[in-house]
Amino acid sequence: MENHEHLEHTESPKDMKSKIWKTFWILTALTVVDIALYFMLIENHSMMKNVLFILLGVVKAYYIVSIFMHMKFEAKWLVNFIIYPMLFVVFLIALMLIESTFTAAIR
Amino acid sequence: MSHTTALTTEKKSIWGGGKSPFSISYGKLMMWIFLLSDAFTFSSLLVAYGFVRHTYPSPIANEIVKPLSHVQENFTEHMQEVGYFTTDKWPLPELVFNHFPFIHGIHLPLFFVSLMTFILIFSSVTMVLAVEAGHRMAKKEVASYMVLTILGGAAFLGCQAWEWTTFIHEGARLDHNPFGPMAFAALFFIVTGFHGFHVFSGVVLNVIIYLNVLNGTYEKRGHYEMVEKVGLYWHFVDLVWVFVFTFFYLI
Repeated sequence: MENHEHLEHTESPKDMKSKIWKTFWILTALTVVDIALYFMLIENHSMMKNVLFILLGVVKAYYIVSIFMHMKFEAKWLVNFIIYPMLFVVFLIALMLIESTFTAAIR
Repeated sequence: MSHTTALTTEKKSIWGGGKSPFSISYGKLMMWIFLLSDAFTFSSLLVAYGFVRHTYPSPIANEIVKPLSHVQENFTEHMQEVGYFTTDKWPLPELVFNHFPFIHGIHLPLFFVSLMTFILIFSSVTMVLAVEAGHRMAKKEVASYMVLTILGGAAFLGCQAWEWTTFIHEGARLDHNPFGPMAFAALFFIVTGFHGFHVFSGVVLNVIIYLNVLNGTYEKRGHYEMVEKVGLYWHFVDLVWVFVFTFFYLI
């Protein structure tokens, strides 16, 4: 069964170490990009800018969860079990954004 | 013949029993479930921030204070006078978080929080290196990487304590905020406080694990899985900081 494979023990320590450092540099670079974009887009107040920053956060989250938390190498069912419930959060964000538009109107 | 067919169908069904469909140890699965519930808690807090933030108009772009420029003593009052800090507008993060330890009177927007982010990412790296060393049963390496992780966590907590102190000195309270809407300070204290408490718990757990590593508990047990479990928690704390950083300092 493919799902029962434990990839973590087949990886050589050297491979894992280089992966870890690569992830570290990606995360650092993305943080620098975040700060740079903040100052470049400081006069822009569109929703798109917020979406851009959140997407950059999601990319960072992907690297932390997949490499540092080793999820990329876990069984498919574990991944589904953790990732799909996060759709509730997406639902909550959508609801609250709509709601807050009404709250803003009465403020 | 029919016997073999039955066997193969049983093998194909992942939920057929006999093996865990998650292919992971009990302890790690439970840690994942805890982290999922904790992710919901933090999501609610950040969505609450997004809700309140969205009900206020965006701040006006800052055109007077340039990075690295000189900042006068009564900076907050000055910003209130020029209308950058008003209760009906969300404050500009770069004008609120512009302090750096030991450097006074210079506008350093978001420098300190970038340093904090860097510290936390780095401590995450040392943690995952400790996990990797644990796979090789390298006790000394695990111990030294754990020390680095603990130091990183402690450094982050120190930074946060300093930031809170600065924020409070300027007059921010749960029910008062010189920078703008009251909710801004309240949310700042609650969300970064909740995250900081997680970091604190993580440091305590890391210290316990470190002592166990030194005592040879995991060497006797034959595996360093406990390091992995606490590592999952520690990376989660880093993950949450990514979003706290995005919401409080960038948006």
